[in-house]
Amino acid sequence: MIANLFRKVFLVDLFQGLWVTFRNQDPKRIYTEQYPAERPKVGERYRGAPRLNINPDNGETLCISCNLCALACPENLIVVTSQRNEQTKRKDLTTFTYDTSRCMFCGLCEDACPVDALELTQDFELASYTREGAIWDRQMLEEGPKPTQYKC
Amino acid sequence: MPEATFLDATELVINMGPQHPSTHGVLRVILKLDGEKVNGTECVIGYLHRGVEKIGENRTYQQFAPYVDRMDYVAAVSNGLGYCLAVEKLLNVEAPPRAQAVRVILTELNRIASHLLWLGTHALDIGAITPVFYCLREREEVLKIFENYCGARLTTHAFRIGGLLYETYDGFEEEVRKFCDWFIPKVDEYEELLTNNRIWVGRLKGVGILSADECKEYGVTGPVLRAAGVQWDLRKAQPYSGYEQYEFDIPTGENGDTYDRYTVRMEEMRQSTRIVRQAVERIPTGPIMGKVPKVVKPPVGEAYVSIEAPKGELGYFIVSDNSTQPYRLRVRPPSFVNLQALDCMVRGGLVADVVAIIGTLDIVLGEVDR
Amino acid sequence: MADEQKPEGPVAPKPAAAKPAAAAHAAPPKPPAVMVTTPWESDIVQLLKDHFGDDITEFSTYLGQNFLVAKPDAAIAILDTLKLELDFDYLVDITAVDYPKRAKRFDLVYILYSFARNERIRVKTMIPDGYMPATAVTVHLAANWLEREVFDMFGIQFAGHPDMRRILLPEEWQGYPLRKEYGILQQDDAWVRENLGIESGQ
Repeated sequence: MIANLFRKVFLVDLFQGLWVTFRNQDPKRIYTEQYPAERPKVGERYRGAPRLNINPDNGETLCISCNLCALACPENLIVVTSQRNEQTKRKDLTTFTYDTSRCMFCGLCEDACPVDALELTQDFELASYTREGAIWDRQMLEEGPKPTQYKC
Repeated sequence: MPEATFLDATELVINMGPQHPSTHGVLRVILKLDGEKVNGTECVIGYLHRGVEKIGENRTYQQFAPYVDRMDYVAAVSNGLGYCLAVEKLLNVEAPPRAQAVRVILTELNRIASHLLWLGTHALDIGAITPVFYCLREREEVLKIFENYCGARLTTHAFRIGGLLYETYDGFEEEVRKFCDWFIPKVDEYEELLTNNRIWVGRLKGVGILSADECKEYGVTGPVLRAAGVQWDLRKAQPYSGYEQYEFDIPTGENGDTYDRYTVRMEEMRQSTRIVRQAVERIPTGPIMGKVPKVVKPPVGEAYVSIEAPKGELGYFIVSDNSTQPYRLRVRPPSFVNLQALDCMVRGGLVADVVAIIGTLDIVLGEVDR
Repeated sequence: MADEQKPEGPVAPKPAAAKPAAAAHAAPPKPPAVMVTTPWESDIVQLLKDHFGDDITEFSTYLGQNFLVAKPDAAIAILDTLKLELDFDYLVDITAVDYPKRAKRFDLVYILYSFARNERIRVKTMIPDGYMPATAVTVHLAANWLEREVFDMFGIQFAGHPDMRRILLPEEWQGYPLRKEYGILQQDDAWVRENLGIESGQ
């Protein structure tokens, strides 16, 4: 009874909660990532900016223009055009358009690609100043977005 | 008839508009007040309606899976599990045991993440600003596990029809175990902050009482039903995805008020950790994908499959006509049905209680509106 | 995009596309496939048969899920009996399915669950366009918003509902989106122009 009255008058339960808060003020317990000074290390399987991979030996694109990625996309935002190469009897990729403004980064296109040409990388800084800048053509896809780096 | 002066008690209609920090999304509540006492409410929803059911009729079964994450965007993995289970039921396949175990682990981690966000925002609405930081800090750890597993934190698209696409990454079991051991003391920390705090108790006890009969009348499920005393959980009543192998308790409350819902959800977080610990000890080896054809064309028929999502009973009613796209895809959203009970819970309370009750129902407008 | 099928592989898309076209011309059109159900026997079936006799036309099971098909006038009485005598006290969902080629266009589906029996049951009725089924609000309070949503999406009005208006779409919206003739990109352009001040951006 007296203990209850003591607890009530001297705000013991409030101080108990406040102690939790003060305990967490220790600088060792700071959890915030100071972006952009420290850029977060995202996971290996992160679904970020798309990239068209190039064969490292001869610099040609790995894409075989099979159009599976365009068929797999729920939003139908990939457009692949190609022309037939008479010598090798295969298709050569001419243009590859990818609309990142409507993309939901679900990864279905990456899963569908049979030759691992289309890959979602770990780049997450894809902002652009214009709507048209979000529609990526083949060159942008191969090089990747190049956000301006600032030094602080 | 004499003209009414402003001192007469007339009903005041106030709009708690779609843009409000405490309505957990774009929810508009029209309050009919008598001074500070609430006489009735009316909810206006549909601000986040995206026509997900109509989209479902125009996408193939695999293509629809990313849209499902975006309904209850806080607990995307649960949504994905429900959808994959529904399509697997129509196809009459079952995911292999290894896939089921990993699905259980990820779904329970998602339940913890969803309840953490609930606790943080609920406390924030009531006025306790501290817990939200700690809850989001814990949630970061869970989201890191999701990111390492499937590549996205929030809209995970983790499961595929028939099982899993991704094999667990190196160190998955280690990280999950470490998370469980690190997490339990944190729940105790939140209890230290809130459970005995006189302000918390004063604001939550006796507020928004919904008895068990009223819950059943309104079709309310989830922690709200359990706090009213009904010990019912779909994971125990109609187990799916291997839940029958794990031991866990179903926490219940007594009075069906907001404080009981708080204790029920805190205890559910502990029970979820218990399930994750059991599951991660014995993930079976084997394939991760069942026998599902590349082009998913279920035979003509319909099926209703529901799971215990963190918010309640999430159900998918899929009608198929033997084509690659569903004929009708209906999502039974727990938040939509739970929100109907708001009017009943709020009568007789004060305006400040409306905020507490909306928070305790744990609604996500993405799911209410689809 | 709706009719394209995935090609068999990246190697030979052309022969695969030519074959189904030839086959469709050669073979006569097959009758539309129906759901392969098995009859359902249980004490619930017996009790409902005794009460309702002809009003229930079918008791079936598909993939282990039991359902019954009833005449639309009897639907609410069936829900009442299920609630009072058979403990199906939890209305899980009310939804509708649109089959535009049928005379009885809509398939109104009630999904019920019993806590005591741990069983789920579906009650389906087929109603034509323009028919106003009785509301289930008198039996289950949960039906209030669920029926409003069915009205919003399909245009099925429920007779006796306390508040029959749209719930997800704005009240002045014209058109019922989940009907099959409503296009996927279609919007109520007049409403958008008036209230949002923009031309529809599709």
